Amino acid sequence: MTAAPPLRARHLPAVRREDLAGVRAFVAEACRAAGGCPAACEALVLAADEVCANVVLHAYPSAAPGPLTVAVARVGDDLLVTATDAGPPFDPTRLPPVAEPRTLEERSPGGLGWHLVRQVVDAVRYERLAHGNRVTLVRRAGG
Amino acid sequence: MQITTARHAHVTVVAVAGSIDALTADTLTARFGEEVLSGNPRLVADFEGVEYTSSAGLRVLLAAVKAARQQGGDLRLAAVRAPVLRVLELSGFTSILKCYADVPSAVASFLG
Repeated sequence: MTAAPPLRARHLPAVRREDLAGVRAFVAEACRAAGGCPAACEALVLAADEVCANVVLHAYPSAAPGPLTVAVARVGDDLLVTATDAGPPFDPTRLPPVAEPRTLEERSPGGLGWHLVRQVVDAVRYERLAHGNRVTLVRRAGG
Repeated sequence: MQITTARHAHVTVVAVAGSIDALTADTLTARFGEEVLSGNPRLVADFEGVEYTSSAGLRVLLAAVKAARQQGGDLRLAAVRAPVLRVLELSGFTSILKCYADVPSAVASFLG
């Protein structure tokens, strides 16, 4: 295993919807710098956006936004993107899988984001911290 | 994100440019909703300028196509770029939304 390059992180003390574009740009650049292929970078940008949008929309009241830290690291052949918030407990790995509906009427707007996340990354890990949540997205850096 | 609306005789073309995410999705939902409520349920979404969408864009399209079809119309996509098409395919949306190579084809599909 090669030595991991320095971890890059962006801390947002009060995250809002307006910050999502900046989070995507940060993840894209950090994944490229860590040797991610275009497909890996695209997948992690999308997955990170979904996780961070979920934090913005559900972890904090809209009138009182809270902190979010997004970090990118390379560990061996994998890229890791972590999103750490200070919201109430929420474990996305315990969500039931979304069945693939066949008709328009069966389609519900709920669950689309996590469904996408699970499809584009290799693993989603969750840790409950003393005062928050950490979601880790894992994707092979190449291929 | 920028939205430009062009009304033709039978079809309204809503051209979108930029990124669709949790910030911008509500604006686009409102635009499609206004067209359907104004009696223009035959809609083409020109996505040539859309470089990115998250699931927020999927929710926009889902609400718009449901509303349009309830009013006897449809929402059809035109000129979807590869990264956006991948998101649509991963979510199974290409089986419920008709996609066309360009705007003229999508507009013409309503006339057949």
